[in-house]
Amino acid sequence: MKLTRREFSAGLAAGLAAPALMRSAWAQGATIKIGMCVPVTGPAAEQGLWAQNGAKLALAAVNKAGGVLGKQVELVIEDDQTTNPGIVLAFSKLAAQSDIVAFLGSIRSTQVQAMAPDVIKVGKPVMIGGTNPDLTHSGNPWLFRFRPNDNYSGRVIADFGVNTLGKKKWAIVHSTDAFGTAGGKALSEALTKLGAPPVLDQGYANQSQDFTPVVLAVKQSGADVLGTYFTFENDLGIFARQLRQLGVNIPWVGSPSVVAVSSTKLAGPALFGTYGVADFAEDSSDAAKAFGKAYRDAYKTAPDNQSAWPYDAITILSAAINKAGSTDPNKIRDAILATQKYAGAEGEYNFDKNGDGLHGYNVVKNDKGKIVYDKHIDFND
Amino acid sequence: MDLVLQLLFTGIGIGAVYALVALGFVLIFRATNVVNFAQGEFSMVAAYLMVVCVELGLPYWLSFVIALAGMALIGVIFNLGVYYPLRHRTYLPVIIATIGASILLANSVLAIYGPQPQVLQGWFDTPGIQLGPVYLDSQYLLIIGVTILLVLFNFWFFEKTLLGKKLQATSQDKEMASLLGISVSTMIMITFIYSAVLGGLAGILVAPVLFVSIQMGSTIALKAFAATIIGGFGDVAGAIVGGLALGVIETFGAAYISVPYKDGFAFLVLIAFLVFRPQGIFGERVAEKA
Repeated sequence: MKLTRREFSAGLAAGLAAPALMRSAWAQGATIKIGMCVPVTGPAAEQGLWAQNGAKLALAAVNKAGGVLGKQVELVIEDDQTTNPGIVLAFSKLAAQSDIVAFLGSIRSTQVQAMAPDVIKVGKPVMIGGTNPDLTHSGNPWLFRFRPNDNYSGRVIADFGVNTLGKKKWAIVHSTDAFGTAGGKALSEALTKLGAPPVLDQGYANQSQDFTPVVLAVKQSGADVLGTYFTFENDLGIFARQLRQLGVNIPWVGSPSVVAVSSTKLAGPALFGTYGVADFAEDSSDAAKAFGKAYRDAYKTAPDNQSAWPYDAITILSAAINKAGSTDPNKIRDAILATQKYAGAEGEYNFDKNGDGLHGYNVVKNDKGKIVYDKHIDFND
Repeated sequence: MDLVLQLLFTGIGIGAVYALVALGFVLIFRATNVVNFAQGEFSMVAAYLMVVCVELGLPYWLSFVIALAGMALIGVIFNLGVYYPLRHRTYLPVIIATIGASILLANSVLAIYGPQPQVLQGWFDTPGIQLGPVYLDSQYLLIIGVTILLVLFNFWFFEKTLLGKKLQATSQDKEMASLLGISVSTMIMITFIYSAVLGGLAGILVAPVLFVSIQMGSTIALKAFAATIIGGFGDVAGAIVGGLALGVIETFGAAYISVPYKDGFAFLVLIAFLVFRPQGIFGERVAEKA
């Protein structure tokens, strides 16, 4: 047989291309893809990095244990720019990739609210960390929360301040975004139920450069205890320092940002002695301790809730897909909702029909810069 | 009364920060007729330079000098890379180029240094002084002091020195200045260097109060821009007065009317000026000059 030059070239080209073609064909079904909307840029880029760390840590463990449905799991990350339009865009980019089976959304309630209508349209499970109670209570079947919602944080702050610290004159300071407003409202209602309605309910806008008017309002209210819902650690740091400078030293029980790693670093001594409710506290359980150790080993820094919830989300989601035995969204949904008594880094997960996994909070204290676990308060409803 | 004094001090302090950044806006506007939207990022970059130097263990004063020298260099690069190639075009491409440069600067710092906000210690060990009922934050005292010094320096520099007069001549009429033997491009280069250093100075001064973060520049710059319009675009005294006025108005507005709408007051004043006195407080002097 005589080979013409043309035949030879064609054969050579086919031979060279074949492995690449085969590889790409193989790759299409080789992994299970999970999409993640996370701030890579914008004010929360820092927390976004930690969220990615937590997710990747869980991913490594899942893959090491054999992956999901016999395949390796792959994380597809899209920048949400820490803005509402940003996350809508990021989610639609991810949703366009039909082989992504489920998603991780934001820890910021405002952003989850912004993407929620698209989540219904896409009809695939989205794990979230936003704590505004309404997110899982407005008939959206595809949102699953991996942090306790603010109904619980408000009740725990009120319970701890009134019953443990014995304080009844409350000043509430909260951000005016979706998270802060809902949190402030939940705390106010919980306090009213305990017979200690707040003497001051003060909102502030995010990214304020100065909190003197807020501090002076707290001072003038005559409150003997402070409850806060701060969204950004920068704001919290400025507020904490000005609070101490202007001589306000009343006990302070705040939402998780009070005890977050970066707040502790930024505000320094201004936050010593404060209490915070924390969905993640390293000493609260064996699972939390194990996560803490793995995180420290991998990233040489202390973990907080920003990395703990994506860690739990990836772990539980992977287990749920395995249990469902399929990537069918409805089957995954049922499997997540069926998750009970699972010990995660954030606490014990008992999913309810709304998609809320956790139902209580830890109370922790900033003891000279070290976050110390105090107690866990859980609710049954 | 105690409350009023405390608010007044804070208002002037935060206003002085706006004024410092506004000054940078004004100087570049006068020299080139464009608004430099990267002015806020100059502040941010300088604060990061300072943090890096301090972390390397250099003394505070040396870090300060290095950071400002670095800003001078950035001023040169900015002039050559952003303004100079577009100098014969209308103002619009230049403005868009400055916006592009501001995004580039912010994301470069993000890529190099990472997103974690940093703490920069203040110049003084004592955080502040309790003067009767009023607490004076030492960093704000420093900011106010530096602003006063800069106002005096600017007056002396632009009115009494030959270089200052050359810069003024350039900003008023480039053709005439160049006919008189003044090198226009050198003058514009000097203006960019000076503005970058001024913006950097503002960033370093404000960093111990607001922390060092990627977005610190843009939040301040927005207010500084408003201050520039309120004061009268193109007027040095206007920038200072506009900045201080804005700081005081928003602080009092927040305390006595509504905290969540604090930023609203600043921009309400801006809108009022745009409607009723678009030339700003010191607008007429500029008109005479032109």
